[in-house]
Amino acid sequence: MNGRFFIIALHEGGRVREETWRLVSFARRCGVADPVMMVLSDEGAIEQLADELAHRTGLDVAGLAGSHLREYSAEAYIRTLVPFFRDAPEEAHIVTAHTSRGIDFAPQLSAGIDACCITAVEDVGQGTFIRSVHHGRFRAEVRADRPRVVLTVLPEAFAPDDVAPGNPGKVRIVPAGDISLSTCSRGARAPVHANMGLTRAEVIVSAGRGLGSGENIRLVTMLSSLFPKSALGATRAVCDQGWLDYSHQIGSTGNTVSPRLYLACGISGAIQHLAGMRDSGMIVAVNTDPCAAIFRVAHYGIVEDLTTFIPLLVDRYLRGE
Amino acid sequence: MKILVCIKEVYDSPETLVFDESAGRVTFGPHTVFRMNRYDEYALEEALRIRERLSSAVVDAISVGSPRVSRIIRRALEMGANHGIHVQTPGETCLSAFERAHLIASAARGRGYDLVLAGVMAEDDMESQVGPLLAAVLEYGCATGVIFEEISADGGRVAVEREVEGGSRECLTLALPCVLTIQSGINTPRYPALSHVLRARSSELECIEASGLAAPPPTQGLVRILPPAQGRQGEVIEGAAVEKADKLIRILREHSLLPR
Ligand SMILES: Cc1cc2nc3c(=O)[nH]c(=O)nc-3n(C[C@H](O)[C@H](O)[C@H](O)COP(=O)(O)OP(=O)(O)OC[C@H]3O[C@@H](n4cnc5c(N)ncnc54)[C@H](O)[C@@H]3O)c2cc1C
Ligand SMILES: Nc1ncnc2c1ncn2[C@@H]1O[C@H](COP(=O)(O)O)[C@@H](O)[C@H]1O
Repeated sequence: MNGRFFIIALHEGGRVREETWRLVSFARRCGVADPVMMVLSDEGAIEQLADELAHRTGLDVAGLAGSHLREYSAEAYIRTLVPFFRDAPEEAHIVTAHTSRGIDFAPQLSAGIDACCITAVEDVGQGTFIRSVHHGRFRAEVRADRPRVVLTVLPEAFAPDDVAPGNPGKVRIVPAGDISLSTCSRGARAPVHANMGLTRAEVIVSAGRGLGSGENIRLVTMLSSLFPKSALGATRAVCDQGWLDYSHQIGSTGNTVSPRLYLACGISGAIQHLAGMRDSGMIVAVNTDPCAAIFRVAHYGIVEDLTTFIPLLVDRYLRGE
Repeated sequence: MKILVCIKEVYDSPETLVFDESAGRVTFGPHTVFRMNRYDEYALEEALRIRERLSSAVVDAISVGSPRVSRIIRRALEMGANHGIHVQTPGETCLSAFERAHLIASAARGRGYDLVLAGVMAEDDMESQVGPLLAAVLEYGCATGVIFEEISADGGRVAVEREVEGGSRECLTLALPCVLTIQSGINTPRYPALSHVLRARSSELECIEASGLAAPPPTQGLVRILPPAQGRQGEVIEGAAVEKADKLIRILREHSLLPR
């Protein structure tokens, strides 16, 4: 990659978020050994964050500080980053994680600095970037046509970079001025739907839109009753339909689970769902579509219609087959 | 209060797509069925609920695409939108999020929208870019992943909750005008009422040729479509349905996952 390479670290509660270390691996995948680490916060927290980055990565860190950055908002980030990158060399890759925050500010940042923006990047080609399209069935190879490129990178596509550096990188704190914002942050609210039963279960039988109707929840309930320490999981689609309540939702905006067995019934395998269950011991998927993305994370795949297959499976088991 | 809702047409099932690997292209097969992006149904429903709360509000729906997308715009009118705008592109042109955002901005500029709602992402390509890019071009504020909104009594501000990892929510207040991208589950989208269906049948859509709107040169190009990455080389259990069931039971027993 030509030009400079910047990684915008994301943080929460005074600590750098784990996805950031994966962005360092992404930089290496791009052939960049010395990206500049960047972090944005208020004066009270910036030094600790910048030091954590410098020690963990051994890379140079630019910390942008201002009281408007005490709490995250897209507006605070954009109004700090746009002037910074306007002054930086034109040829630059600016990378952050594809998380709820990364995707909140990255497109607007790109618009402010006349950059190309590519989201959910999971690999690199010959000077190109690769992302999943069409429900994860295919990938698109995308070429940037501007010298400045803003990328959001899928964290799970890269392992955390664990190279223990010899020396910490240099830290430079840049005052970003005090910008008065029209957005007012009012703090955070804890999730309303934690489900302890799911995190303790050894087996999770999980339902997707492929169930077809709320009535068919009885199929997954029946299947789950065969296993002693089991619980019912669901995709967001199932919860949005009201077939199960949100405490059952598994995925990036729901519960994260890693049971010994995850039985995915009628689930396509969207990245947001995989984010919550990909570390399960054994994944079994039942889906009518042999090309569904779920089969690429499954240990065992069964191409069948769940409305006939689940009753058959339960019947064969109860008969002692 | 003038509200604009951005709606995108998507295909109903990816199974109907046809992949030409040597050309690096995907096309729609003969059985492809099209519908409105689900996240946009939530956005439209939210706009209609705001209109019900603030009696003077009007809701416009806009879509950029081939002549075929007029059908989802009509669907928006059936659900209750007041007016439909079609930014028409010739045939199956595949436009980047940047181009789509600029076309919507050109069509929207000067119409005095106080609030623009979009889906949090398009189900097919999952870019999550058009809403925030549109906000940047229009110089509006923006919040993404909105799961709750409440407009202040004076119509000057909107309090929102954005859904983030693990289902936590970030609470913030934005000044209007702004763009909100709407997350699924914020409401339950309605089915069209008969009276609206009848009205929609006789309504004219406003059709604007995309070629007549100003847009800067694209920032990116699609090189080609590739097959999916090799995932885990899992075992596909073959055989008749009964054999598959028996094999699975055996495997689960071998791993002590099912009692004998
Ligand atoms: C910001 C954000 C956060 C999100 N967070 C989450 C999250 O936390 N958790 C989550 O799950 N999703 C989340 N999503 C939604 C996610 O992108 C997908 O839309 C969702 O996971 C799809 O659910 P699904 O697999 O049930 O439905 P679909 O994608 O519609 O898949 C249904 C599957 O069922 C199969 N099928 C159909 N009929 C049958 C049958 N009779 N027998 C067997 N198989 C059948 C189909 O082939 C298809 O593969 C999020 C999205 C966004 C934008
Ligand atoms: N062609 C389009 N016409 C109208 N709105 C669109 C179009 N493409 C995307 N959008 C809007 O932008 C949202 C996010 O799409 P995307 O950025 O493509 O993931 C969608 O949910 C729509 O609200």
